Amino acid sequence: MKGKKIVAVIFSALLLLSVALTGCSSNSGGKDEVTLDVFQFKVEFKKQFEDLVKKYEKEHPNVHINITTVGGGQDYGVALKSKFASGKEPAIFNVGGPQDVKDWEAKLADLSDTKAAENALDGTLEGVKKDGKVLGVPYNQEGYGLIYNKAIFKKAGINPEDIKDFNSLQAAVEKLDSQKKDLGIKAVFALPGKETWVTGLHLSNAFLAPEFDNNVLNAFNAKKVDFKYGDAMKNFIDLQNKYSVQPTVSLDYSQQVEELFSTGKVAMIQQGNWVYGSIAGIDEDLAQNNVGLLPIPVQGYKEDAVPVGIPMYWAVNKNKDKKVVAESKKFLDWLYTSDEGKKAVLQDFKFIPAYKGYDLDKIQDPISKEIYQYAQSGNTIGWVFMGYPSGWGMDTLGADIQKYLSGKASWDEVVKDSQKAWEVARK
Amino acid sequence: MRTRDLSYWLFLAPVLIALTLVVIVPLLFGVYYSFTDWNGITSGNFVGFDNYIKMLHDDEFGKSLWFTVKFSVASIILINVIGLSLALVVTSKIKTSKFLRTIFFMPNLIGGLILGFIWQFIFIKVFASVGDVIGVEALKGWLSTTQTGFWGLVILMSWQMSGYIMVIYIAYLEGLPQELLEAADIDGANAFQRFRYIIFPLVAPAFTVSMFLTLSNSFKLYDQNLSLTGGGPFKSTQMVAMEIFQTAFGENQMAYAQAKAVIFFVIVAIISLTQVYFSKKREVEM
Repeated sequence: MKGKKIVAVIFSALLLLSVALTGCSSNSGGKDEVTLDVFQFKVEFKKQFEDLVKKYEKEHPNVHINITTVGGGQDYGVALKSKFASGKEPAIFNVGGPQDVKDWEAKLADLSDTKAAENALDGTLEGVKKDGKVLGVPYNQEGYGLIYNKAIFKKAGINPEDIKDFNSLQAAVEKLDSQKKDLGIKAVFALPGKETWVTGLHLSNAFLAPEFDNNVLNAFNAKKVDFKYGDAMKNFIDLQNKYSVQPTVSLDYSQQVEELFSTGKVAMIQQGNWVYGSIAGIDEDLAQNNVGLLPIPVQGYKEDAVPVGIPMYWAVNKNKDKKVVAESKKFLDWLYTSDEGKKAVLQDFKFIPAYKGYDLDKIQDPISKEIYQYAQSGNTIGWVFMGYPSGWGMDTLGADIQKYLSGKASWDEVVKDSQKAWEVARK
Repeated sequence: MRTRDLSYWLFLAPVLIALTLVVIVPLLFGVYYSFTDWNGITSGNFVGFDNYIKMLHDDEFGKSLWFTVKFSVASIILINVIGLSLALVVTSKIKTSKFLRTIFFMPNLIGGLILGFIWQFIFIKVFASVGDVIGVEALKGWLSTTQTGFWGLVILMSWQMSGYIMVIYIAYLEGLPQELLEAADIDGANAFQRFRYIIFPLVAPAFTVSMFLTLSNSFKLYDQNLSLTGGGPFKSTQMVAMEIFQTAFGENQMAYAQAKAVIFFVIVAIISLTQVYFSKKREVEM
């Protein structure tokens, strides 16, 4: 009996030990080797980015770069917080705008001495400047508007050149709608009311940016929101909703872009240049030769402008040791200012660069080309939605727009409720 | 009681340590954080009961709590009724009972997120097509209104969980003493009477277990909710777990979300414990 007991004690002690020992691991590196952990959000260029980093590692044998990609706006924020909370802080990560800068300020290194910051286009650093420091460098430029199917327009006998304002857009939409059967489309638009970022961030931005002078910091510091162009916004939502595939409230992004637009079931969608890859994946020919971009008409302001902005910024973690910070900056400079990096940015990533010194004839896809032309002619609206109160765009305004689309709230109620929430958040 | 010597505690230690580290310690931390204004990045200041007071005026939280209660009631009833019926079917003398058990249990083996997306396709696409063909308007536009979203969630939950609950009932049904049933037969009880007076009281312990499981599972539902409706339209099908997540990560108010989570924990604990206490009282001793 006694022997049994001893065996039991030994056994259980071993079991305990094995539990205690799991999770111990150590890593050792060479003397002057540096490891940079990159934690980034852009899923679309994950593979191309990884390929480019391999090249960089070849050129700089003492630098190792590990990339982790977590996509989607909110999911990225969640994952980043967890990453920091776990103690495995990345060296390079992404911030979106003034709110992020405020939240993460304790971690952000000053990048004003980098070449990348120096070459960034005028105005692109607005959202990440604080007390004379530059706390991030831009990824790229993105823009959105009404992406349309050229073939359908041609068949319907509509010249996209003629669409210059809200009234001409409405006329074109009605014309398309009257020929739905012949054109083989389900509806003119696909309005993804389920995606609150499409309505609450992008759509709203076009109509709210003017009242903040297109400056994200003004939006970030504003105590209230007027909806100065609220009626124009209502008209634009109504137009999309009335002529959209129904029910709009449960329509999502993949239905809008992949299922409906890429297969030619709708003539127009409100989206940006990031959809190029999805469309090309389904119909290469459509993506290359048959898509164009129309502006979002803001009545009473600019009716022929496209909102263009910076989706995210690269930031460097200043709490890492000096060497890692220096190498991180070097890498970002190489990415945006070396010849090799520039080539990849244009041709592999298919970015619209946010930096000087690029050969812009090399922009690859037609939607980006058009956005770039708008940007050149100065016919743009700024991106201010990164300056909305946290969660306001999607959870308040986006949800209220869903109510409006379902007929559960009037437009006035949408405006009043959103205004109230803004003021409460900015008390 | 047997003696609790060293080896007893040593065997228990790994479990106890794990439980303490991953459940009890975080819970205590969570309670502490709910009294601060922590935002998830930098450590917060102590603010006392502010977060709890704020909750009293939070319509969103109240609404999602009410929606969760409604959903739980509907799904508890449905899951238990379907689960028990299935169990009665597969324990009766039909030929394919083994095969049917597997089939009914299968939905449980698929993850909640995937199920949500599959059912989303069924509700939005299949329902609409069927509605088109047979001309029933009610089948169109599912998940785009609060009611259809609600029933969509209930259907999904019942479909997924009934098979699991069925297994629990089967265990009890197969343990029924045959002589009692035979005696009832000889005394001339019909099928309904047999169920009402013999089977039902004897499988009462199964009710305790499955009620508890369905209750806590429906209250804590998150992934199916996320993938099926995403809380839409206009956050009207958002359950408590999702609302808390939104508060934490959407609005960046970690501490406030933590306070909500504490209250949520208290509510679920109270309801579950009361339910178990009363169900236990009703069970018959053999």
